Amino acid sequence: MDEPIQLDALGARGAFRARNRLTVSDVTGRPVAELSQVPRLFVQRGLSALRTATPAGSDELSAVIARAGHTFATDTVGGLSAQEYQYLVSRVSGVPVTVVRSATRRIERAAAEAYRSVRCARPAAAVDRWQDPVTRGGGAVWTRRGDVFAVHAAGNHPGVHSLWLEALAMGYRVAVRPSGREPFTPHRLVTALREAGIGDDRLILLPTDHHVADDIVRGADLSLVYGGDAVVHKYRADPNVLTQGPGRTKILLADGDWASSLDTVVASISDEGGVACVNATAVFVAGDPAPVAAAIAERLAALPSLPPEDDKAVLPVRPAAEARRTEKYLLDHADGGVLRLGGDGIVDELGDGSAVLRPAVVQLDRPDAPQLATELPFPCVWVAPWSPDDGVGPLRNTLVLTVVSQDERLIGRLVDEPSISNVHVGDHPTHRMAPGIPHDGYLAEFLMRSKAVIR
Amino acid sequence: MAVAADPVLTFPPDQVPDPEEFIQAAMRWHFSPETGSPYWIERAKTLDFDPRRDVRTFDDLQLFPNIVNELRQVPARDLVPQGYGSSVEVIGIYESGGTTGAPKRVAYLADWMDRYVTWSTRQMEERGHPRDAHWLALIPSGPHLWGEVVARQARRRGGFTSTIDLDPRWVKKCLAEGRGDEAGRYVEHILAQGEFLLETQDIRVLVVTPPLLERLAQHEHLVKLVNEKVRVIIWSGAHMDADSRHLFRTEVFPDVQLFGNYGSTMILCGAVERSGSEDECVFDPFAPHVSFSVVDPETGRPVPYGERGQVVMNHISRSALFPNNLERDVATRIRPLAGQLGDSVADVSPVRTFDDEVVIEGVY
Repeated sequence: MDEPIQLDALGARGAFRARNRLTVSDVTGRPVAELSQVPRLFVQRGLSALRTATPAGSDELSAVIARAGHTFATDTVGGLSAQEYQYLVSRVSGVPVTVVRSATRRIERAAAEAYRSVRCARPAAAVDRWQDPVTRGGGAVWTRRGDVFAVHAAGNHPGVHSLWLEALAMGYRVAVRPSGREPFTPHRLVTALREAGIGDDRLILLPTDHHVADDIVRGADLSLVYGGDAVVHKYRADPNVLTQGPGRTKILLADGDWASSLDTVVASISDEGGVACVNATAVFVAGDPAPVAAAIAERLAALPSLPPEDDKAVLPVRPAAEARRTEKYLLDHADGGVLRLGGDGIVDELGDGSAVLRPAVVQLDRPDAPQLATELPFPCVWVAPWSPDDGVGPLRNTLVLTVVSQDERLIGRLVDEPSISNVHVGDHPTHRMAPGIPHDGYLAEFLMRSKAVIR
Repeated sequence: MAVAADPVLTFPPDQVPDPEEFIQAAMRWHFSPETGSPYWIERAKTLDFDPRRDVRTFDDLQLFPNIVNELRQVPARDLVPQGYGSSVEVIGIYESGGTTGAPKRVAYLADWMDRYVTWSTRQMEERGHPRDAHWLALIPSGPHLWGEVVARQARRRGGFTSTIDLDPRWVKKCLAEGRGDEAGRYVEHILAQGEFLLETQDIRVLVVTPPLLERLAQHEHLVKLVNEKVRVIIWSGAHMDADSRHLFRTEVFPDVQLFGNYGSTMILCGAVERSGSEDECVFDPFAPHVSFSVVDPETGRPVPYGERGQVVMNHISRSALFPNNLERDVATRIRPLAGQLGDSVADVSPVRTFDDEVVIEGVY
């Protein structure tokens, strides 16, 4: 492949190859694709076409999305077979190819069940159509809060693209801004959906540089924006923007017997290449954290360093220079901790310009150590002591908390805690997800509302 | 008392002089004590070369330091060549946009205005722009030159102008302070005023900046009016990227001629879009009065043709001398038209930082 792959913008009038294009390189720095970067005018016209388009009927829509998901996962789309696509994603994002494959399947499943998942969030008293007999004499109809939905996607893990399918299933017209780091997944998914018949004026792909990116959020009714703390802060006050920031996912081993949970702990840290927001960043141990940290370190140390497209690869790969920066960041922030793994560095160069990010395990001596909030894009875990006297405090601000405990009062308090989004009780890894089970609340809680209809 | 200038400086449109003869005549005019401006006569004392002796060719213009930052303080009167004597006619004192710090100021003389309007309206004639038309200009007037130029161009072509003023500095101020919504409101206010004119008047020529045109394109009603009535959209004052230009030409205003001008206060005019510019928007200057080179900002050396570099501008006329000005723009270096001094440029875009000050382009 000498000619770079062209990833065009996908507008309401079809594909658009911009003169201004971003080079997308693999983990060795070799260019593999060019992503068109559309100007503001294209964004404006795209959003206005979405606004003018009529929503599709839900029955038809649900079949189209399911069909597209299957095509996405199995067929040739935009000239790339599923295998070629998965290879490219692994080479560009450095995410192990097996993780990409399972994400492909997850997107397929999410597409098949998008409509059903969305319905899980519908209030029990609300109905889908105003014609429903329930509205005679007064009832609730579940309606969209807007017409146009925008996504600023992340490039860390292809699985992020399973979520916005729900907006499409609710009849939203959707604009996706792909990440320049891994644009293949959204380009392929949007292409498959358009080929399946969603309507070019109902779903568009708007690759842009950051100067124009805000225009997409401003022009949409509701937006889903992925990013770091700065992005979360930027949109905090905007009720029309839902942010997906760092997960700060945690595990609490509240019973003395942690050995039987070691598999769950290790999987939570390192499955998915450790790059997902649902990967555990911190482990809290009732009692002495040292043996737990040592056991995790021993298990993670055995993971092999391989290029991302290798079937046996499990660890993420980045360009060597970027890997060195991540390593420096880790070592700069590990002050006061004991590096059980990674103390000699986490960068394992593959000799082609890329480097494996090897796991790190840092033991800390208190449950409120600031490092516990440091989330890095590889299997990196902070292990700290915890006692019932510390309570829920250290466990706040968490996307997923796996708690291994028999203490129902404790579990009840964790479930009640507003800043913990999901609670897994017992040996359920933090990254376990399924259609119909909310990820960070149901997306539909943000997209929909109940409207009174009396007739 | 006025001193007659070398006729080579006021050449008739069809008799473009030899570039070196022209440059040398200009050096004699601007650096002779009886004809040069107080500014240049004084400034020459601190130069380590003698312009009348050492500046003979286009390349020699690089001997000059970039003096444009001095124009933020120099009394405008001091910029007027003394050779005009008491008969001098200063049309106005015009200022740069103020994109990069305090504005730069120039004195604009009537004889230059006449030369530029003659040249630029010939370009319009060659491109088949309508005559006797009602123009609508949604552009800066006030301290800026453009509004004045457009009014005169319209008149020269038998037409007349409605002007809705646009204060680009206010927009830039809003953007710099993170008040994008306020800037947007202001731009809508300008468009709303233009809408009355587009609805009720037979507007055939629309003069506008690219950001304003982009905003206009969001209003279906305005797009429809422009497509129905307007024959030519003259744009300038900010950059239009190649993709937006393509979309304007093919999708938004498919039947309207787009005519780009690349202007700067420091050249006292604008270069015009070359006829038949397709993928690349090429600008040709009013040579030899205005000349460009495209250089590597690190070395100051010209980049090869087809490569990107930073634009250096020269203005040389009887009325003014602004040589060797490194502008805030990057562009592709393009082969000049036959006999033209310096280069032409294409696909102009802003340099992201300039003199350590972030460039905020705004609407002008």
